[in-house]
Amino acid sequence: MVRNKRLLAIAAIAALLSVTSACGSDDKESATSGGPEEADMVVWLNGADTPQAARDWLKETFEKEHPGSTLTIEEQEWDGLVERLTTALSSEDQTPDVVEVGNTQAPTFTTAGAFSDLTDDLEELGGDDLLPGFVEGATVDGRTYAVPYYAGSTYVFYRKDLFDKAGLEVPRTMDEFVATATALKAANPQDDFSGYWLPGQDWRDGAAFLWDAGGDFAAPDGDGWKGTLSTPESIEGLTTFQTLFEDASGAPADANEADPVTPFCAGKIGMMSRPGWVMGLLTDPEAGCPDLAEKVGVFALPGSDGEPAPVLLGGSDIAVAAQTPNQDLARDIVALMLSDEYQGILAENGLTPARQSLTSLLGDDEFAQATIEAASNAKLTPAAANWATVEGTRILEDLFSQIAQGGDVEELAAEADERITAELN
Amino acid sequence: MARRRTARQPALPTVLVLPAAALLLLALGYPLARQVVLSLQEFGLAQQFGRPPEWVGLGNYRALVGDSYLWAVVLRTVAFCFVNAALTMGIGVGIALLMTRMSRWVRIAVQSGLLLTWATPVVAAMIVWQFLFDTQYGVVNSLLTTLGADYDGHAWLAEPLSFFTVATMVVVWMSVPFVVFTTYAALTQVSDDVVEAAEIDGAGAWQRFVHVVLPTVRPVLLVVLLLQVIWDLRVFTQIYTLQKAGGITRDTNLLGTYIYTLGIKGGDFGTAAAAAMFMLLLTVVLTAPYIRIMFRQEET
Repeated sequence: MVRNKRLLAIAAIAALLSVTSACGSDDKESATSGGPEEADMVVWLNGADTPQAARDWLKETFEKEHPGSTLTIEEQEWDGLVERLTTALSSEDQTPDVVEVGNTQAPTFTTAGAFSDLTDDLEELGGDDLLPGFVEGATVDGRTYAVPYYAGSTYVFYRKDLFDKAGLEVPRTMDEFVATATALKAANPQDDFSGYWLPGQDWRDGAAFLWDAGGDFAAPDGDGWKGTLSTPESIEGLTTFQTLFEDASGAPADANEADPVTPFCAGKIGMMSRPGWVMGLLTDPEAGCPDLAEKVGVFALPGSDGEPAPVLLGGSDIAVAAQTPNQDLARDIVALMLSDEYQGILAENGLTPARQSLTSLLGDDEFAQATIEAASNAKLTPAAANWATVEGTRILEDLFSQIAQGGDVEELAAEADERITAELN
Repeated sequence: MARRRTARQPALPTVLVLPAAALLLLALGYPLARQVVLSLQEFGLAQQFGRPPEWVGLGNYRALVGDSYLWAVVLRTVAFCFVNAALTMGIGVGIALLMTRMSRWVRIAVQSGLLLTWATPVVAAMIVWQFLFDTQYGVVNSLLTTLGADYDGHAWLAEPLSFFTVATMVVVWMSVPFVVFTTYAALTQVSDDVVEAAEIDGAGAWQRFVHVVLPTVRPVLLVVLLLQVIWDLRVFTQIYTLQKAGGITRDTNLLGTYIYTLGIKGGDFGTAAAAAMFMLLLTVVLTAPYIRIMFRQEET
């Protein structure tokens, strides 16, 4: 039958077309174990966190110190990073040389052997001066596989002019904070106005309310881990999150916190918890809104006891990919990223430097104060080896979003506990 | 009596088919073998970076079969596949029939529109669809609100049913052009003489369609339907993107995204491979009847 032959021909052509050309690497090989002396290096940085000045400095300095080599920074989205690292890091041809990874995501890769052992370089990179919680988080059986890049906990940005208009003052306790957020929303009764901007999926900022009430995501249980979201303390914290979302937030229940700039610049946000570098985005004359940014004040989220609330200790690690042949060059890049100059640029932009001795570079304005205060009581996510898969499978985004949609907190928390326990063990 | 032409078969056809067959074997055979092996191993992130994997026999399968969630996902996938394939076929064949009645310029306009839809890269199209259905800044919400309905801040992706409605719109929108073009091409092959003869014999429009046109284009429709079922069964990009835009991941997983969640996101490649075997099995079971019909047609 004629049609049959034609089908066969089409299949053959399709098969031929589907052969993709493999891209080869043209790096010069050398006999030493540390890799070639010249190579085209690729660094993965995530999101808009790292300021442009720091990127430019890194590229220029590295290329000057290593004539013949180049450095390319590829920006990755935070969203979906674990998946991208999982696939890219395992292939020698595709792997970036140096990667930034969220401090809470690092343990998954350090325990899997995805990163090179940096223990012997640790002293040179800063030793005890490096942020201790970060180094511990990246250490497995006494060997360290990643070093801190920067820390940055979120603190509260608020619109001073809206506070004045509503006759409100900066809250000093958690109860006052909830009341202030609700009152601010009541004073600006548009649907999409947020007294406190809290997108439904934003569990990272939601964590502060969970921890302030004495709850947590998971706790060690025998040899393994157990989800603890349905303990009475956790339920109380999650309920506060729900109340805040319902009474004070105008953000969508199914959105994440990736873009605070659009609603802020539209004048729809009274307060929001964001890391310090977001200020840079707000003051940007093109992408931001300098006139509204001028009216911003900041404070550390207060806890129930009047001290700063336990917010998520955010931040990043940097690591050298275990699969890259350019080990020595990659280590040089890490050293540059921890240098005084580079970390100084980060500090100017509101990121807490990776080395404690450089904290003073943050300055002493209200932003620096809020940064330091917020970090003083900051907490890490559970130190389970598989924690990144809990983040990767979006259990927490699902949970917080469903709570924001008005779901039954106890039921949802119990379900999430089961899933967390299953992922962690 | 058939002439004995088959006695000495020339070698040329076999030689011509060989490269394609070898490529298929390489491109499909290797991953398939690897998948079977993987599904029998405990293969996690550590194995991905060089630690030797542990053989667990059918352990991965046992864990999956015992989990009611897998069955929920399988059911959801099959339902989604049927609804989408049926809608795509219905709308596609309808437009193709309409096209045979259009004047030349209208037809060219319709074809251009369909071609553009077909040519739009999935990810680019998804950005537009996400914007259309965005909770806060979405065009759909804004339009409905202007028309007087209270859709201000309506979260389209939050509820699973509404999520799948949006997903169905996107998937059907993307697949219809292929059905239209193929069916229209087949319809132009229907002999006018035969249709005219039927008309003279007193057959009405519906009768002409069912008894004359449909049998002629049946083989094409079967192939298209088969492809459609396969494509809608392994739909991934659209669901994945919409999940990130706001869907509750667990309530909206189809087999494709579930396997991705298990493997790439969850770092459990062994179980993911086992789940992928289910998908393969499901594809075979669902498409077997069509393939049998197609073979039977070739024989006659």
